[in-house]
Amino acid sequence: MASEVDTAPRTAARLLAAGASTLGVSVLLDSAMEHYRGSFRNPAMALPLAASAISIAFDGSGRGGGFPRTASHSASVAIGLTGLGFHTFNVFKRPSGLTFNNLFYGAPIGAPGALILSGLLGAASDRLSGDGGALGSGRLLAGLAAFGIFGSVGEAGLLHLKGSFQNPAMWLPVTIPPLAAASLAVDAMTGVPRPWTTALLGATALVGTVGVAFHAYGVSRNMGGWRNWRQNLLAGPPMPAPPAFAGLAIAALGAVLLMRRARG
Amino acid sequence: MSADDPQQVPRAKGGRAPDVFEPGGWVPMRSHSQDEEVDFVIVGTGAGGGTLACKLAEDGFSVVAFDAGPYWRPLEDFASDEHHQSKLYWTDERITAGANPIKLGANNSGRSVGGSTVHYAMVALRFRPEWFKARTRLGYGADWPIDWQEMWKYYTEVEQALTISGPINYPWGPRRPRYPYRAHPLNEAAKLLARGAEALGIDWTETPIATLSAPKGKAHRCVYRGFCVTGCSTNAKQSVLNTWLPRALTAGAEIRDLAMVGRIEVDKAGRATGVHYHREGAWHFQKARNVVVAGYAIETPRLLLNSACEQFPDGLANSSGLVGKNLMVQLNQAAWGQMKEEVRSYKAPPSLTISEHWNYEDRGKDYFGGWAYMSQGPLPITWVKELAGQRGLWGQRLIDEMARSNHNVGLKMVGEVLPDERNRVTLAEETDRFGLPIAKVEFSYSDNDRAMMKHALSFMDDSLAAVGATERWKEWDDTCHLNGTARMGDDPKTSVVNADGRSWDIPNLWVCDGSVFPTVGGVNPSLTIQAIACRTADRIKALSARGEL
Repeated sequence: MASEVDTAPRTAARLLAAGASTLGVSVLLDSAMEHYRGSFRNPAMALPLAASAISIAFDGSGRGGGFPRTASHSASVAIGLTGLGFHTFNVFKRPSGLTFNNLFYGAPIGAPGALILSGLLGAASDRLSGDGGALGSGRLLAGLAAFGIFGSVGEAGLLHLKGSFQNPAMWLPVTIPPLAAASLAVDAMTGVPRPWTTALLGATALVGTVGVAFHAYGVSRNMGGWRNWRQNLLAGPPMPAPPAFAGLAIAALGAVLLMRRARG
Repeated sequence: MSADDPQQVPRAKGGRAPDVFEPGGWVPMRSHSQDEEVDFVIVGTGAGGGTLACKLAEDGFSVVAFDAGPYWRPLEDFASDEHHQSKLYWTDERITAGANPIKLGANNSGRSVGGSTVHYAMVALRFRPEWFKARTRLGYGADWPIDWQEMWKYYTEVEQALTISGPINYPWGPRRPRYPYRAHPLNEAAKLLARGAEALGIDWTETPIATLSAPKGKAHRCVYRGFCVTGCSTNAKQSVLNTWLPRALTAGAEIRDLAMVGRIEVDKAGRATGVHYHREGAWHFQKARNVVVAGYAIETPRLLLNSACEQFPDGLANSSGLVGKNLMVQLNQAAWGQMKEEVRSYKAPPSLTISEHWNYEDRGKDYFGGWAYMSQGPLPITWVKELAGQRGLWGQRLIDEMARSNHNVGLKMVGEVLPDERNRVTLAEETDRFGLPIAKVEFSYSDNDRAMMKHALSFMDDSLAAVGATERWKEWDDTCHLNGTARMGDDPKTSVVNADGRSWDIPNLWVCDGSVFPTVGGVNPSLTIQAIACRTADRIKALSARGEL
């Protein structure tokens, strides 16, 4: 129907922008806390804060396009790629290089990937606000979102392994989101969005949201609890991290919407 | 003196015991009358006695466990102050003798409910399997009457109970199950051990230690405060005090703190009938069907010897004449140096990395036995004592050296001392405040010990040199841990107790602590003591089921 043709790309663009913003907020707060913990020893540690803050401003402002936005998204991707390099170097410079202990306690090797994804999703949203081009089918974006969710699962899995899965809820982000990502990946390949992909993505967004509460509880279980928040926010599980799942799931729902539209 | 000073007034009485997880908290405790003949009286609540009390209570036996020390609540009783925390050590008068008299206190004793595990370094290592048959397989010391495969099972039980944080894969020995919690982040001192080991071409790993890397129940995870060996004030340390004993209380065991057992009573038939103990200013007698001595390698033989009576004039369980003999310390020598960059080695648990290479490699040694070495993190008072006592610094030179202690790095060994009957615990003429003869502790290094020290110090020094440490020096005189003095074995003529810790002479008298070790190996003993306690409990349960107690 004509009305669907008109509104679906715009709604999808909004979902992508919302997902990119959520991811950006997660990156901003998480890298702010983690890099503060690391005393900003390398000046480059300030870059992801700047990049994510600017992109949030653009992604949150709705309609757009133009050079400043494109430059912002490109910067996010470039800084994220640089971050991957720095973090990998940080892990490998430790004794014995690639070991579980170094992956647990070195710079989180996959974390800068979230900034790359935020930039890509923001750029995709801008593109969809325009003519959409090759992104219009939603399949490429669904594949990207699935890849992003798998990456976040890897990071959550690694860090929850570090925490020895001491609380059964720590299994949630390594069970539900991978199912959602796998289902989404299949849909991206076939081009046929299935209802339960949507349901799983909704559940993934929920996991990302309640994850904040679980992490807040985790903070309270450190010595001194919330009364000692200045230390325990940094020592406990990272509260800004779980919304990355929500951001990716929201963006993925935008991709699903595009795929549905493409199917008519 | 405060009415709630746990060093002056017993806390565990009146049907309640301290809740170690809550300031001012209490948990219910079953109480037994002194006339009630309980199934087991256990003397000591450390790695041996505390673990056994838990296991026996969980098996349904009635248990009263005594400890001479106070019942602490770590969250409210422990300070970040080395001097104050010396309250955790057994500093009663003892006589030390021999060619190399050992220093008693911090490194080898505890006077607390929970024993020395309240201030131990938490290093949780398994024996090398061959050590259980050291005489047969390696040609030195004595064989244990227990097989390593059986011990492997009990090690696993203890590692689970203490939620040990350890590496994903352990580089030495037969396969072991995954440690319950992941290893901790490495401090700089630990990384320097790792880099040194890599330079020398040997394996290293994160030390399996009994402090939490993630929360567990009411216990917080480690905050890397670094005061582990003076008592953990956050409960991250998994000591007998906050693991086995809360379980013991839940299962119905009674614990009596500030209760010094002075004598085991034996009847005409040659069976133990109970113990005389001093509490709240008076002597009392607790009846029991079985008595377990778990006072560690000095107080265990002291109590057995002090309980000499008409039937057993040389002390209880001493027909072999071996009670008090074969005292084994462990070598605790260290290599030290200075790094250009800051190390701050005292942050975090002191021994985060380890190499057990020389426990498992016998080639290239001109001595028997094994040794491990670990990274170090001495607290300021400990370090100033080392510099003054071992290195001879004083005055301005000492002040200058302390001012740059942030750059200090060290490696310390835990080395196997062989059993030798000349190293022993006997009774002195002098008596203590309870009127009990005090222990005389004799120890001398052997040529084997000196050869091991020489090799270890040279190797550790090489490791420090390989990471660029300068102004290196060697600390030649330090020991840790105490074992032996009531050896277990297969033959009543050459051992004090059998594999179950049961005395050959008095069938209802048992020993359950590091005293029963025929050999000590090159690893910290606490895990093995607890594993032995778990095994002893299982054996007692089995014997009881067969009516053989």
